[in-house]
Amino acid sequence: MRNVYTVAQVNSFIKNMFQQEPLLNLLTIKGEVSNCKYHSSGHIYFTLKDASGAISCVMFNGNRAAGLKFQMKDGQQVLVTGTVDVYPRDGKYQVYARKIEPDGEGALFEKFERLKAELEERGMFDKCYKRPIPKYIKTLGVVTAQTGAAVKDIINVSTRRNPYVQIILYPAIVQGDGAAESVAAGIEALERMNVDVIIVGRGGGSIEDLWAFNEEVVANAIFNCNIPIISAVGHETDTTISDFVADMRAPTPSAAAELAVYDVSLLIQDINDYQDILGRRMMDKINLLRQKEANDRRLLQHLSPVARIRDQRMRAAQSRDRLERLMLERIRDKKHLLDVDIERLKALSPLDKLKSGFSYIADKDGQNIKKISQVKAGDELDIYVSDGLIRATANATEKRDNG
Amino acid sequence: MAKKIEDKELSIEGAFEQVNEKIKALENSDVSLEDSFKLFQEGMDLLKYCNESIDKVEKKVQKIIGDGQTEDFE
Repeated sequence: MRNVYTVAQVNSFIKNMFQQEPLLNLLTIKGEVSNCKYHSSGHIYFTLKDASGAISCVMFNGNRAAGLKFQMKDGQQVLVTGTVDVYPRDGKYQVYARKIEPDGEGALFEKFERLKAELEERGMFDKCYKRPIPKYIKTLGVVTAQTGAAVKDIINVSTRRNPYVQIILYPAIVQGDGAAESVAAGIEALERMNVDVIIVGRGGGSIEDLWAFNEEVVANAIFNCNIPIISAVGHETDTTISDFVADMRAPTPSAAAELAVYDVSLLIQDINDYQDILGRRMMDKINLLRQKEANDRRLLQHLSPVARIRDQRMRAAQSRDRLERLMLERIRDKKHLLDVDIERLKALSPLDKLKSGFSYIADKDGQNIKKISQVKAGDELDIYVSDGLIRATANATEKRDNG
Repeated sequence: MAKKIEDKELSIEGAFEQVNEKIKALENSDVSLEDSFKLFQEGMDLLKYCNESIDKVEKKVQKIIGDGQTEDFE
């Protein structure tokens, strides 16, 4: 015999099982709100879902005053605390909520991802909108809380690097109600003051603390600002929407100050270096021209008429010397030849012969007598001897054969 | 006399850029001595301008207290 049960019996059995399970009597479930309906009876019906599934929920009117502090909407991340029980009429189990709270981190994370995707789609993170951060600024705008580490860090780093940069602080509310509007107003106020760069940021904190920098109003203010903005929110690991929209992201407020404010001692060094280079190039130029001038002068001197005259004069002197030398040589040669001739002549001189006993006989006309035929008896003859002349008269001639 | 720096809004970067151009021109051996002196003087004037544009007065941090109004921030 089979056991046959009524629907009511089965539902009742299951309901009993649920009620005996302590966990199901009080638990907190997290998920996203969907199909949310505020019924005219005052009860609220909704579905809690996540990626894997869904569960029906109800909050009765009587629990609303104590258990729900906000207007619940689809898409919200919530934490629902209550009981899971069976609703016999439908044969369904559902959550009977006693308390519903927004799920801070989960909700914010969802919201962050959604806004990020939306703004990215609008092109607000596009590189083409990023303004370059000017290197040498005169005024730095800062949007942050006027108390706390961030403002101190920014002032300390800026002043150390360059005490001549004017810092203008917009004391903003950086967390809690109105924070996003305050930050946006700060950006606009500093833009009106026409500062050179703006740092927008705050020190570290929870995702809720940093939330203002994930709000669309701040993103828009940064995007619309004509002055370059450096976003510096929280610590290096924190990323906010304002980091994506800003012209530059700095990991911390101190780092933002390093990026925004140039080191004045380096600038002065640069100026000095440039002065040195200019001076050196000028000296190089002068030296080069001096050298060129010296070369040209040498060349010109070489080609000048004075040089030519001197050159020719020198050549003339050399020619004269050579001429003189040749002349003297020639004279010396001739003199030598003369001497030889003199010696030879000496040897031939009749005077010498006369000295050695020979005589020279000439007729009255001075003709040398060489043959007897030139003389007849009675002719006057002059006989030359070594120390004078003997006037004589020929007696006779007599022919002889000499050899 | 070197040409005065006319552009009052000239940035320090812009001035450095111009100084670099002067230096490059000076390095060109075809430039006459007269032009070289001019380039040198213009370069020096630009650097003087850079130096003068550092307003060497230490600034007090200002805090915005109202519409365009500021006071010293302590």
